[in-house]
Amino acid sequence: MTDTPSPETAPEPTQTYEQAREELADVVRRLEAGGLTLEESLSLWERGEALAELCQHWLDRARERLAAAQPADPTD
Amino acid sequence: MTSPSSPESPWPVRTVARKVAEWIGRLGEVWVEGQVAQLSRRGNAATVFLTLRDPAADLSVPVTCHRDVADRPGLVLTEGARVIVRARPDYYVARGSFSLRATEIRAVGLGELLARIERIRQLLAAEGLFDATRKRPLPFAPAVVGVITGRDSAAERDVLVTARRRWPAVRFAMHNCAVQGPTAAAGVIDGLRRLDADPTVEVIVIARGGGSVEDLLPFSDEGLVRAIAATRTPVVTAVGHETDTTLVDHVADVRAATPTDAAHRVVPEIGEQRRLVDGLRARARSLMSGRLEQQERWLESVRSRPVLAEPQRLLAGRADDVLALRGRATRTLTHRVDTAERDLEHARARVAALSPAATLQRGYAVLQRADGALVRDPAEVADDERLLVRVAGGRLPVRVDRTPTGEDGSP
Repeated sequence: MTDTPSPETAPEPTQTYEQAREELADVVRRLEAGGLTLEESLSLWERGEALAELCQHWLDRARERLAAAQPADPTD
Repeated sequence: MTSPSSPESPWPVRTVARKVAEWIGRLGEVWVEGQVAQLSRRGNAATVFLTLRDPAADLSVPVTCHRDVADRPGLVLTEGARVIVRARPDYYVARGSFSLRATEIRAVGLGELLARIERIRQLLAAEGLFDATRKRPLPFAPAVVGVITGRDSAAERDVLVTARRRWPAVRFAMHNCAVQGPTAAAGVIDGLRRLDADPTVEVIVIARGGGSVEDLLPFSDEGLVRAIAATRTPVVTAVGHETDTTLVDHVADVRAATPTDAAHRVVPEIGEQRRLVDGLRARARSLMSGRLEQQERWLESVRSRPVLAEPQRLLAGRADDVLALRGRATRTLTHRVDTAERDLEHARARVAALSPAATLQRGYAVLQRADGALVRDPAEVADDERLLVRVAGGRLPVRVDRTPTGEDGSP
């Protein structure tokens, strides 16, 4: 039996954006490769969703920070 | 000769005066070069008094000469003029004063002046005072700019106005002094020392408008050049027109063409700096948002991949498999059951066919010996043996009786 991924947990907060992105890419690769038990693909899929959500969150936050740094009045 | 002097027999003043005069006379006639510091002619007195100054060493010596010598045609004797004097040391015994008695005075000609400057230049160059490696970079935006120029001169105004327009926050440490004539060099040197000592002054500008070679002479003064070389603070010179070159230009850290140019060199232009900063800021922003966009597009593409976007397909696939499997299982099962039934049928039929019941039904009977064996030949059976007869309706225990009964009597 391949090592079934740990029961689905939220990605650790200490993970950097790049690490989350890398793992997401790996999850997709393994899902597409197939050959997994039902349980494995289900929890893998849940892991993928969580990671995608996390990446989305990071990018939204970055967008906000960029907008926040926008000078109040560029022609001051 | 007079006897040596001693406390007991001291010399009278006249003896001492005479001896001094003698000693001084030994120098003989000399040619000496210097700058006319003071010049005084009392009415039509026969004697003209002047002071000859050594610009480099800040020393001077009194000179007297006959009026004709001073008024020689072609000789323009003015204060500040550089001259060469032929003179003898003279000790005026009456008042005990020393002076040089000049018999000929020549103005140092322009060619001579330039030649002299060139000699000094080569001397200082040889000492490495003009080496590029000594040039210090100017501070980007100095808080205090030291300025040495003539009081209320055009040069002063140019430097101050231009610098303030470019960088309103700039402050100045002013030193005004003569910018031509015998005291100019000393004045600038004094300013240099004062401003250089002031730690808040981050750069010093020496500015002077255009002028003749003589006017600019102080700015080729060896003492001044050495003073500039010795300063800790970077020095910018803006002396004379662009075409004039004075020795200070060679030793300065930066040579500006004009006082205005000097202002351009020492303070940045605020508008320009702001545009620069804004430009960089905009570029950084667009790089960042470009990067963000790229990541967002990547995430978008990953999330739209079927395995993530439509997980149910995964299950669907599985469900289909299960369905298919069930279907197959059912079909296989049904098939097997059918076969089983058919086999049963056959078996039953065969049993039925093979089973003696039908035969018995037709009136036949089956004889079995005690041990169950079937009797197929009367010879197998002994008289009086007990047998079991099985007829359609059941079983019948019998005994074998071979007593003839007369009918057919066949054994």
